[in-house]
Amino acid sequence: MTGALSGGSVEFDRALSAVDGRAAASVVRGLLDDGEDPLAVLVDVIAAGQRTVGERWQRGEWSIAKEHAATAVAVSATEVVARFAERVPITRGRVVVACAEREWHALPALIIGTALRLHGWNTVLLGASTSPARLSQCLHDVGPDATAVSCSVLGALPTTRRFIEASTTAGIPVVVGGSAFGRDSTRALALGATAWAPDAHGAVALLDGLPAVVPRAKPLPRQGVTEQSAMELDHHRLVEVLRGRWTPAAAATPDAPLERKLFSAACGEVLHQALHSVAATLLTGDPRTISETAAWIDRLLTARGADPRLAGELGDALASTLLDFPTAHDLVVRYWADGLVLQGEHTS
Amino acid sequence: MTTSGANAVRTGSATEHELLAEARLRVDLLGEVTSALTGSLNLRRTVLRLLDLVTPRVADWAMVVLVDEASGLTLHGGADPTFATAIPRALIEGTGVERVLRSGQDELLHVSVELDSTEGLDTMIPHPRLRDEAVGLRPADVLSLALTARGSTIGTLVMIRSAGRGFPEDDVELAGQIASQASIALDSARLYEERGRITSILQSSLRPPDLPTIPGARVSARFRPAAEHLDIGGDFYDVHGSADDWLLVLGDVCGKGVEAAVLTGRARQGIRMAAYFDRRPAAVLKALNSVLCENDSSRFVTVVCARFRPAPDGSHAEVDIAVAGHPAPIVLHADGSVDQVEVAGIASGVVPDVYYTEARIRMEAGDTMLMFTDGVDEARGADGFYGMDKLLGLLPDYAGAGPVALCEAVEQSVVEHLDGRAHDDIALLAVSCEG
Repeated sequence: MTGALSGGSVEFDRALSAVDGRAAASVVRGLLDDGEDPLAVLVDVIAAGQRTVGERWQRGEWSIAKEHAATAVAVSATEVVARFAERVPITRGRVVVACAEREWHALPALIIGTALRLHGWNTVLLGASTSPARLSQCLHDVGPDATAVSCSVLGALPTTRRFIEASTTAGIPVVVGGSAFGRDSTRALALGATAWAPDAHGAVALLDGLPAVVPRAKPLPRQGVTEQSAMELDHHRLVEVLRGRWTPAAAATPDAPLERKLFSAACGEVLHQALHSVAATLLTGDPRTISETAAWIDRLLTARGADPRLAGELGDALASTLLDFPTAHDLVVRYWADGLVLQGEHTS
Repeated sequence: MTTSGANAVRTGSATEHELLAEARLRVDLLGEVTSALTGSLNLRRTVLRLLDLVTPRVADWAMVVLVDEASGLTLHGGADPTFATAIPRALIEGTGVERVLRSGQDELLHVSVELDSTEGLDTMIPHPRLRDEAVGLRPADVLSLALTARGSTIGTLVMIRSAGRGFPEDDVELAGQIASQASIALDSARLYEERGRITSILQSSLRPPDLPTIPGARVSARFRPAAEHLDIGGDFYDVHGSADDWLLVLGDVCGKGVEAAVLTGRARQGIRMAAYFDRRPAAVLKALNSVLCENDSSRFVTVVCARFRPAPDGSHAEVDIAVAGHPAPIVLHADGSVDQVEVAGIASGVVPDVYYTEARIRMEAGDTMLMFTDGVDEARGADGFYGMDKLLGLLPDYAGAGPVALCEAVEQSVVEHLDGRAHDDIALLAVSCEG
């Protein structure tokens, strides 16, 4: 990273913390005017800054509203780079960049879309939480060379699979990326994606080497899909059952009023995430979605002053809630605690 | 089975067992052609799919020629399947391509290798780059198949096999079957694309407009139509004006889908025109009401119209608001308090000669005004309607977060409440003073 970039990063983080859209945009504009590599500005300044926003929320330092506000600032800064990218001549084909349903983090897709545009791709960007029907319509209308799908939450993996079906049925290769896929290509390939991009640089490099036509994605293993779709249909009820079993334990903590507010805001999120993590394993066959989510929930709760046993108790409640779903139940029993053991000691 | 794709479908001196296997392979290939080619309604993707199916299994090299609307030709494929180029029709006069296109009859050409002549190729491949590729293959046979669908020849599929592997009769027949399947898929995609072009031009005027930059303020909007894949619906918003005098409009036409979208276009234009003569929201709504009442349309429109006059330094803004049968905007103050503007009026297009009243408010820096349609509060989830209480309860946390974050949060909250259920059009428009 150049000195200007690391200096810019510090100023950018300050602008995010202050929720100052103008300052953030002017930092980015300054770096671009000084001739810094726009892709580096996207990745090392904006995406890196956004990562710390997420971490601050996770540590309970910021409310969800503050996270939203700071993200909006990062979006407007990315739009500065996107306007800059419009000047790059189009030398490659067309790519549709999309977020699946339940994926509300539109920023990573915007960053990937902008990175590809900088590389000469003609990009069509679909916003947050897009339905498979809308993507499919777009693929018929645009006829792109590739589809890129950004997915940062496990709950969006089922629709991401539908995106992969929509794309490959039309013969269009599909590249996927985002934190929901973890740190290797296992989940991406299990879902039938043509390729997995670890980051923006990876996506840019991958898109140049894709086949012109791909075969339709193979059906997913039936047992997993059957349970996953049954769980999805029953999601609302399962959340309530899980809430009923776990909340008494959760209600005892924490003491301070501010922490209590942050804590109860996080609890709703935690219930959905826990169920989505199991559904994700059913679809992808990768049990790390469960153990990683357990670890994530553990950090989230303890950061908000919760009893360190609470995440473990959630695993027990989850297992008993899923008794009607034998594979899912076994997966929770086998893998939930892994995340907690790996996590090690708590800082309570 | 041999690994050479081109040989896979050939008959030679074969045993009964081999013949059976080859027959099965043909059936598989034809089945694959049908299902693969129906996967996309996009013409270019369908061409790519066809080229991918025939090379290398049926031919060593292939090209698709399509007649386009403007009566020119587009050539696709060759060594790079994504290659495409347009040529004028005049260029193929008197060539084999023209014969195939006019007659609808396939042609098989044996190229004489000994003479080292490219004359045969010239007549079937009317482009220097593609012809050079073909010559490089030292072709034995050039097969040009008419792509005829629904009574019209829409193009040709030109396939080449290199020296030593011509097209025996069986393979010509198989290729013909593939071409006839492909023709229908290509023709459907062509029809879809033509319609799509017309639709997208008409649709573009009905899509929500890009928002202008307002000095001393920040605006944001979200629109999620009931028919999400159509990108248009019965809700609309618009922001127009200049310098320190802006009109923010958000409305809802009764009904949804294309019919409603057409009326939103008229309402938006009507409002723009009315504002040109008198920018007061009450006057704008009165004019819109008169125009809509004079039309036969039985549809009515609900609108909220705000005249937004920010101080250039973003310290505050004067806002005049009138509504026609629409929920009044909500103001979220910088300190987290929330109130709904007190103003009411009858929906537009119901009764003639209506007068609207205006409410005037003053927004301070950090205040945000949110306009919304009933797709928000009437979104029906597992626990019933989303409701105004939930909306009003969500907002305080977003005090000072700005209109972009506010609109996103409301949209996300409403869509999560729906949890995959069908919904009405949802539109949001928010503005804040920003220094």
